[in-house]
Amino acid sequence: MEYLTFALAKGRLADKTMELLEKIGITCDEMKEKSRKLIFTNEKLKLKFFLAKATDVPTYVEYGAADIGIIGKDTLLEEKKNLCEVLDLEFGKCRFAVAGKEEIREKLEKSNDLRVATKYPNIAKEYFYHKKHQTVEIIKLNGSVELGPIVGLADVIVDIVETGSTLKENGLKVLEEICPVSARMVVNPVSMKLQSEKIIEIIKGLSKVTEKNTVK
Amino acid sequence: MDAKLHTPEGVKDYLPYEAAFKTEIERNIETVFYRYGFLPVSSPTFEYMEVFDGNGGLNPKQMYKFIDRDSSLLALRADMTPAIARIAATAYEEKDIPLRFYYFENVFRYNEHYQGKLRESNQAGVELIGINSDDADAEVIAVSVNSLLGCGLKDFKICIGQVQFFYGVLEEGGFDKEICKKIRQHIIEKDYIAAQKITENSNAPDNIKILFKEFPLLIGGKKVIERGRELVNSKKALDALDTLENIYKILSEYKIDKFISFDLSTVGLYYYTGIIFRGYANGTGFSILNGGRYDKLLQNYGADYPAVGFAIKINNLIMALEKQNVIVHGEKPDTLLMYTKDGRSTALNASDELRSQGLNIENSLFGDDLDKNKRYAKSKCMGGILYFLNSEDVRIINLEKDTVSDVKISELLKGEA
Repeated sequence: MEYLTFALAKGRLADKTMELLEKIGITCDEMKEKSRKLIFTNEKLKLKFFLAKATDVPTYVEYGAADIGIIGKDTLLEEKKNLCEVLDLEFGKCRFAVAGKEEIREKLEKSNDLRVATKYPNIAKEYFYHKKHQTVEIIKLNGSVELGPIVGLADVIVDIVETGSTLKENGLKVLEEICPVSARMVVNPVSMKLQSEKIIEIIKGLSKVTEKNTVK
Repeated sequence: MDAKLHTPEGVKDYLPYEAAFKTEIERNIETVFYRYGFLPVSSPTFEYMEVFDGNGGLNPKQMYKFIDRDSSLLALRADMTPAIARIAATAYEEKDIPLRFYYFENVFRYNEHYQGKLRESNQAGVELIGINSDDADAEVIAVSVNSLLGCGLKDFKICIGQVQFFYGVLEEGGFDKEICKKIRQHIIEKDYIAAQKITENSNAPDNIKILFKEFPLLIGGKKVIERGRELVNSKKALDALDTLENIYKILSEYKIDKFISFDLSTVGLYYYTGIIFRGYANGTGFSILNGGRYDKLLQNYGADYPAVGFAIKINNLIMALEKQNVIVHGEKPDTLLMYTKDGRSTALNASDELRSQGLNIENSLFGDDLDKNKRYAKSKCMGGILYFLNSEDVRIINLEKDTVSDVKISELLKGEA
């Protein structure tokens, strides 16, 4: 029988995912041990798991190197891969927003020469060009995007906001909301058809568990 | 980067092993195509962009475009189906119906996601034009299954859906035009959650809300059709399910139903109006075949013929065959020809005679250095060497069995050696 392979985004998302999977009887003891292994197997259930950098998870799933991926909607929006997005897992909730200093608000509304710093150039472009119909200059940064407006590199930033406290500490605030974000289960389109029974069972199981979580 | 040493992104060379593999599977597929009565057609490598663009068609951004001397806008062949639709609509009349065409062409697209990232990809396909019936649909699906079987592929599935099911669902949901467009776009992108969220917050009846929740799960055997029937009331959608069931019945009469499953979760390209189907094989993360019914497309070119067809993505099929360890014997030289000066004229004539009998014989250009020729023949995995010693005697060196025997040329040509 074929193995079903999960690609998980390293870190908090992976821990949460394993917690959720445990509730439907999918476990991987190998993963709990401290080791340098890259790939973990549950021989009994014929499952494999590996941890990857979040932005790489959609790529692994698109090529079929993993059948299933658990990944934030933020990464999916930015990477735009050909995947089946089948379930909202309702955790890892946050939102995409445009943030900056309060004084920039007017420029943000009118200017066609706004500089936007972001880790997510595709999302920023989609928002400004296709939703707001505003021409902007996008500056790609790889971390601590909040610095952009503070040191004068950019007028605003496009980033994920959870509580907004990092923004607040740095004198920035959310100026415009873009969209909400949460963890998603994605499936390779071919796996979805060829292993549909096994995968549908997992989707149904997880969907029951997440519904319970949301209700309480 | 020294550009002259590289190929641009998305295109590739085929070295002999791969090229022979490709030729062989194309030959196998072609045999199935003409055995079912399809005839070959070919369209130009570039034509007016409008051919591919008509009626909300392929996004021009995905095409390789350029400007002709007379300043008309041209595009490299971006999709074979519109090109064949143009041919069928302009070169044929009602009395020629039905038309059965097949093609082997390369297709050029910027779209990254289309074919495992290749921008020039090879397609083999058929189009059956002029008839709208379940029998025509089933025939085309049968040709697709037999083409894959003809290549030696065993582990694959053809998943069949019906776009009218989806349109029926949209009607029953009572969504306005803008929302329908949005939902369709989300389903095309397989973002089922976004579609689900739109419908959940709409005034659609409960059964339609549930359907969108289950949408990505409507994949598999006959119970998918049953579940579909439970969830919809729209006549359009129910008729679509009847069609699917009838086609499945015909395919089981073709005795290929074990390769078929249902997929109501797919919408497909803009021009499809009836069934749509895709082929999937273990070993590749991308589909190996796409097809469907497109009854309105020919209207763009001035004729009103219904049509159905599919295209095999040869590059993805090769990937699947390799991953499934299917052995494909491409043509390669099996014999090396050596001769002395005295033996040359006989050697050249006799080897042509053997070629006409089906042997692939490579002439040695290393002269009569036997060791060198042996090493060369072995490195090319040839079965043996024919060494013409003079005008009458030939030495047969069998490299597989490591034997040597001398025979008369007349015996060799009779096949007695």
